[in-house]
Amino acid sequence: MLQAHSPLWNYLWVAPNVFLFALAFLIRRRGLHKQFPVFQIFAIVTAIEQLAVYAADVIPSISGVMFWRIFWVSLLIEAIAKFALIGEIFGFLFVRYSSLANFGKRAIQGLGILLVAVATIAAAYAPVDNPHYSVISHAHILDQSIYLIECGLLVFIFIFAAYFHLTWNRIPYGIALGLGISACVHLGTWAVIANGGLLNQRPLLDFLNMATYHLCVLIWCYYLLVPQKEATKSAVSLPDNNLAIWNRELERLLQQ
Amino acid sequence: MNLAIVLVAAAVVALVIILRLAVKQNLQVKGSSDLAVTIHPIDVVAFRNLTNTAEDDYLRRRLPRADFRQVRRERLRAMVAYIQTAAMNAAVLIRVGEAALAAGDPRIAQAAEQLVNDALLLRRNSTVALARIYIALAWPNSGFAAVRVIDRYEQVSGSAMLLGRLQNPAAAVRLS
Repeated sequence: MLQAHSPLWNYLWVAPNVFLFALAFLIRRRGLHKQFPVFQIFAIVTAIEQLAVYAADVIPSISGVMFWRIFWVSLLIEAIAKFALIGEIFGFLFVRYSSLANFGKRAIQGLGILLVAVATIAAAYAPVDNPHYSVISHAHILDQSIYLIECGLLVFIFIFAAYFHLTWNRIPYGIALGLGISACVHLGTWAVIANGGLLNQRPLLDFLNMATYHLCVLIWCYYLLVPQKEATKSAVSLPDNNLAIWNRELERLLQQ
Repeated sequence: MNLAIVLVAAAVVALVIILRLAVKQNLQVKGSSDLAVTIHPIDVVAFRNLTNTAEDDYLRRRLPRADFRQVRRERLRAMVAYIQTAAMNAAVLIRVGEAALAAGDPRIAQAAEQLVNDALLLRRNSTVALARIYIALAWPNSGFAAVRVIDRYEQVSGSAMLLGRLQNPAAAVRLS
């Protein structure tokens, strides 16, 4: 069952991308594409690109080298879409917090540069198994590099939001959560693959990647399609006691 | 393979952080209605004395070098305690402000927005100030100014007071 080209393997490769494509269609119907244009593009591009790679894998006339070239191109397209999506998540998080936007922007730019440097160093140390088929190793290393940067940026966004107690909007939060889980698991598996680990258990790593991706697509479906429960929000007033303490401190300051 | 182990460990840590923060975020959303507001009072005057560079200069002139370093470290540690409390207060005020943003009254919403932005700036300045204090703890003879934290703290206090007055006019205070 946990073999390449088994029914489960085919399902896990195809189904999430069909769901993602359908999700892109549904968010357009609901008008959410105006709010989340990058996510819609990401969903369409990723679904088409993944299905194209799947087709390249199962069509017998496509050679191994050609498959890996298609894989390479798809990786680059997916990476551009993902980083644009991270930019959209970041923008949504800071849209209400003008006082922190510049600081956050500078911090994430600095971190981005640092992560690119770390990913480059990690790529330089990763082995190239077979020089005749270096395209395969290079694809694995590229995957590792992309997920390293993606994972670092998403963890930073989560930590930053938690530290400053920023309130997430529900949908960007769901998108970030799915993308974050996917990035972490894929970083782990591609790091193992790119560095020549678990050679006999590659299909298991593929299954782990595909199952995680499926889970993340379901998370996105949930956050984008299931309406938020209307919470009865009542304005919270500052307790009198605390206000008095604050006021006392301020009066003491003003009397100086 | 060592690199793979390091990266896998980093990925696991990242995943744990994301999941933990996600759970915390969900709990926060659910618990926002019964927000426990715990703001600790801060003696701003004492804090201002601690950050007064003239006092540092005076102590530097009057005390032997070794004694000055010891006193300076104690003052810096006290500063850390004050700033950490200010940062915690700012965190509480961010949540209070966020909750108040839901108010129908545009004046309250505006005051709440001001409070949230001021509290965020205070929290940012606190973080930078704490980093600088920890560096100063290693080199006590170096100069340090935390004036911006004090100024921001006063501004946040003003915003919180304005929001409090708008929400509860009966508790308004005289500011003369």
